[in-house]
Amino acid sequence: MSQPAIVAAPPESDLPGPYEVGGYAARLKQELQKFARVQLVGEVWGLRSSRARVYFELRDARGALPCSMWSSDFETLGLTLSDGMKVVVGGGCDYYPGSGSSSPSFTFAVSELRIAGEGDLLVQLERLRRRLHADGLFEPQKRLARPLLPRTIGVVTGESGKARDDVLAGLQRRGWAGRLVWAFVPVQDRQAAPRIATALRDLAAMPEVEVVIVARGGGSLADLFAFCDEALCRTVALLRVPVISSVGHHTDRTLIDDVAAVCCSTPTHAAEAAVPIDCTAARADLLAAGRRLNVHSRRAIVERVRTLERLAAAPTQHIARHRRQLHQLLRELRASARRAVRDGRSRSGVHAAALERTVERARGSERTARARELQRLALALAAHDPQRTLARGYALVEDRAGDPVTSSAAARVAHDVRVRFHDDVIDAEVK
Amino acid sequence: MSTAEPAPTYEAAVTRIEEIIRRLDSGQAGLRETLALVKEGRDLVEYCAGELDAVGQGLEELRLDDLVARLEGTQGARSDA
Repeated sequence: MSQPAIVAAPPESDLPGPYEVGGYAARLKQELQKFARVQLVGEVWGLRSSRARVYFELRDARGALPCSMWSSDFETLGLTLSDGMKVVVGGGCDYYPGSGSSSPSFTFAVSELRIAGEGDLLVQLERLRRRLHADGLFEPQKRLARPLLPRTIGVVTGESGKARDDVLAGLQRRGWAGRLVWAFVPVQDRQAAPRIATALRDLAAMPEVEVVIVARGGGSLADLFAFCDEALCRTVALLRVPVISSVGHHTDRTLIDDVAAVCCSTPTHAAEAAVPIDCTAARADLLAAGRRLNVHSRRAIVERVRTLERLAAAPTQHIARHRRQLHQLLRELRASARRAVRDGRSRSGVHAAALERTVERARGSERTARARELQRLALALAAHDPQRTLARGYALVEDRAGDPVTSSAAARVAHDVRVRFHDDVIDAEVK
Repeated sequence: MSTAEPAPTYEAAVTRIEEIIRRLDSGQAGLRETLALVKEGRDLVEYCAGELDAVGQGLEELRLDDLVARLEGTQGARSDA
């Protein structure tokens, strides 16, 4: 045996001790045993037995714990455990402090053990659901825009399951016949969740994939537990493409249903949700829309042409209307003039007759007056008639020209005169 | 720099066609607007018909495994080269 090394001065430290390790290990055992006794749920892995105890690990996605149970207690249960089996164990922490010749070990000392039932799974599921919800992972998928008419759809499902046929039936019902990318994965064993997550990531990495369906037929909650895997749900929540889930039914809703964009009760419905429109009906609608556009196009032109024609004809019609009015006015004017003439003539006739009567009346009285005046004048004239003077014995001397000779001198000058008596004229010579 | 507009989506095109028809049905659009709307509508109908044709030619089924394997093979060949 080698000589012990010269003991150096102990290193300076603020920590208490040093203590003997055995004492510390015994103290650790006491402290661990103070932990509350609880039930744990997880999957059994690495089951092995020794003479006195059975050992196994209890695992889930987030961690593991070494467990041990007295063999006598385990045999009393009459259970046959295998790797991956989900169990609920009851017990508490324990620590074997070891010794100078044996290694220490920590163990969860199991005093109760049962196969996990649906109730246990539901409790576990609900706890995880609350955690995902608190992390805001139910919302991102629901905020993604889902295409109305995707050209490429990814489908994650079991290769031999009925879900595959149901998806095809749903797409056929929509009249959709585009591109499908199948990702066939195990859908219920222990490897299912990571395989599904990988398939989803690969599909989302393809730019042409616009929506992904995750489909599985019904089953017990234990069968569907792969779709409640936390890592898978976190993957789905953060994908760039919308995921439509159809896993299980309403009675056993899985966590992937909560984080997905849409959750459907059957793979057929999931396919219909992936293609929200009926392609056959959409073609008919499109045809109708095209026809209506054509109608509007024609109507826009034809109606305006008619309007223009109407507007173009308006001045002509306006003139014709005025012409008709003028003709009517002219006819009325003429008729009015004729009436006026006729009436005037009638009135003039009456006036004329009245006037004539007045004239006649006037003419009668005037004639009488004039006759009397004429008679008077005639009498006056007769009084001055030279003939009457001549008749009384006077004679009138005239020259050859017929002019009266009023003096003897004029008579001498004239020499030849004519002497007019009341009954005849005689020539005379002045001597 | 290209200023080309992004390709319309089917749903946006259908929504716009419905808007156009509502506007035309209202009878409030003038001649110039009517002709412009009809042209836009016809283009959109043509686009939608193309989209429907794309998902009406026949189902094409691919396997993700094959696509991944093909992609990995291509990348492997490149790295070998």
